[in-house]
Amino acid sequence: MNLDIFLQQLVNGASLGSMYALIAIGYTMVYGVLRLINFAHGDIMMVGAFLTFFGTSAGFPFELAVLLGIIGSAIIGILTDKIAYKPLRDAPKISLLITAIGISFFLENLFTVLFGSTPKAFKAPEYLTKIFHVGNIYLPISVIIIPTVTLAILAIVLWILYKTKYGMAIRALAFDIQTVKLMGIDADRIIMIVFIIGSALAAIGGVFYAVSYPSIDPLMGIIVGLKAFAAAVLGGIGSVGGAVVGGFILGFTEIFVVAMFPELGGYKDAFAFFFLILVLLFRPTGIMGQDLERGRF
Amino acid sequence: MKKLTSIVAATALLGGLVYAKEVKIGVVLPLTGNIAAFGQTSKGGLDIAYAQNNKLSNGDTVKLVVVDDRGDKVEAATAVKRLLDKDKVSVILGEVASSNSMAMAPVAEKAKTPMITHASTNPRVTKDKKYVTRACFIDPFQGAVMAKYALDSGLKTAVVVTDAKQDYSVGLSKAFKKAYEAAGGKIVKTILINSGDKDFNAQVAALKQANPAIVAFTGYYPEAALMVKQARDMGVKTPFIGADGVGFPELVKIGGKAAEGFMYTDHFNEAAASSPEAKAYVEAFHKKYNKPADSMGALAADGYGMILQAMNNCIKAGKASDDKECINTNLRGTKGYKGITGVITINANGDAVKSAVVNAVKDGKFTYKTTVNP
Repeated sequence: MNLDIFLQQLVNGASLGSMYALIAIGYTMVYGVLRLINFAHGDIMMVGAFLTFFGTSAGFPFELAVLLGIIGSAIIGILTDKIAYKPLRDAPKISLLITAIGISFFLENLFTVLFGSTPKAFKAPEYLTKIFHVGNIYLPISVIIIPTVTLAILAIVLWILYKTKYGMAIRALAFDIQTVKLMGIDADRIIMIVFIIGSALAAIGGVFYAVSYPSIDPLMGIIVGLKAFAAAVLGGIGSVGGAVVGGFILGFTEIFVVAMFPELGGYKDAFAFFFLILVLLFRPTGIMGQDLERGRF
Repeated sequence: MKKLTSIVAATALLGGLVYAKEVKIGVVLPLTGNIAAFGQTSKGGLDIAYAQNNKLSNGDTVKLVVVDDRGDKVEAATAVKRLLDKDKVSVILGEVASSNSMAMAPVAEKAKTPMITHASTNPRVTKDKKYVTRACFIDPFQGAVMAKYALDSGLKTAVVVTDAKQDYSVGLSKAFKKAYEAAGGKIVKTILINSGDKDFNAQVAALKQANPAIVAFTGYYPEAALMVKQARDMGVKTPFIGADGVGFPELVKIGGKAAEGFMYTDHFNEAAASSPEAKAYVEAFHKKYNKPADSMGALAADGYGMILQAMNNCIKAGKASDDKECINTNLRGTKGYKGITGVITINANGDAVKSAVVNAVKDGKFTYKTTVNP
């Protein structure tokens, strides 16, 4: 591998990794608060991409369509929490997990029935799809924008968590829901905020994904969701910074495995998950995770 | 009792139509799921062929029982079981994807029911099967056509891109390699992808490094569209050639400008339709759908036409129109059937021997380049 190709792959890895990171943040926050692995999260990302697609198809400017996609996904996130998860707050965790899988199937099949499963061509504006040449390296502008936005979002999320009252409540909730309720904090409202943040980030991730790979279908969230989940676990589930680190690591691993062994490209998912297992063998709580029972973001 | 029999006989004599039988054809297609486009287009062509002709020579009516398998192997096999046990069909038509047809074939074989797949091109579909036939050519031929066309165009080094998850792609790659190397071409690299993948940047970088004269892409259209787009974005100008799995409108819709020049072998192009049967079909297709006739639909129509011919031959031979053994013998014995996709003859393996066309994307449309004979 020469230097050009190496740099090219580095950029590709950063771009892929930041999309995983955006989605992993939502996984990790919901887990931190509810101890729930929200398997419907990948599908929320799909919903975000589809809503944006409908927005642009209806003739809205791209930015407005993205905003609608984010708001729509946040609403769907709130609805899943209110309809499916809230009634099970005091039920065993396993019931909650099964419900999340159910919601995931529901969203996938609902979109298949309504809009068909043929992949749709996602139209992104010119300024997001432009390509630069730097020497022999081809830089789609998106590979610069996506990691930048991801890091900016990470900064905002950390600011919310550590500098605002809501953030304090979210962190408190992660320690002990019962005690927080006794302190007079409306736990359901805080959980709703967590779902809003998570779903909005998933929608942004979905839009980025669709900009990078302009073909969207109702099942697109499955594998990306799984990868993001792996990223969250790798980074240490419950830790926002860890989710981002995990996302980047996973993105780089995936790209470099294929780059170095193109014959094995078909098995890149296997490599990504093998790497996850390897890390967990030595650090069962993930790279930045601490006590599993006391998520701390 | 005697009286009853004579009444029945009299009624039967009065008019074949009144007492004509209904013969059922079971159709298994992926009408939903991630290869729904194949199923939907197949169904479109089948509907036209059915509307044109749904009566047998003795007045029996043909009925289609269509089942959706969502593109899933297990569902496909279950669908055949259901069609046999519940609907009591005499023949099975389907599937598109080779993986699914291979799941269906043993079920049909066990029940000694003839099955014809209109579009599964993997050789293993009919291998060692007595009751399975197909209306399309097989991958070794398709791979050979790709190799021949590439070499004839002076493109002597190739990178092969295989979708590791699809039997279709694995078989096609093997056939391409064999024919290409036998005729003096050189394979410089083999790259694996997975259907469902969206990111091919790493593979494209490897491709760029190998710098071949042509890329032989043997997978399906969703991956083809994204991969060619990412290749063009990275400045790779190498031409792509694929097979019948890429010739779908989504290739152009998703690939956009990057799909320009993408070549592929196919079963049918309406520009090459010359026989009266083909012309009548194309005309009916335009009238009903107001778009160019696709190859999946034409193949489904041919599969259906071959079944009808086999049934009519049975009637001619004095057998019942739903005699499974007789239908199968006649299907396997098809010779010189003038179909929409060309003249079809079934060989000893149950595979169709027929010509292929090469198409290419030009100005966002699939244009006919040439016909290659077996």
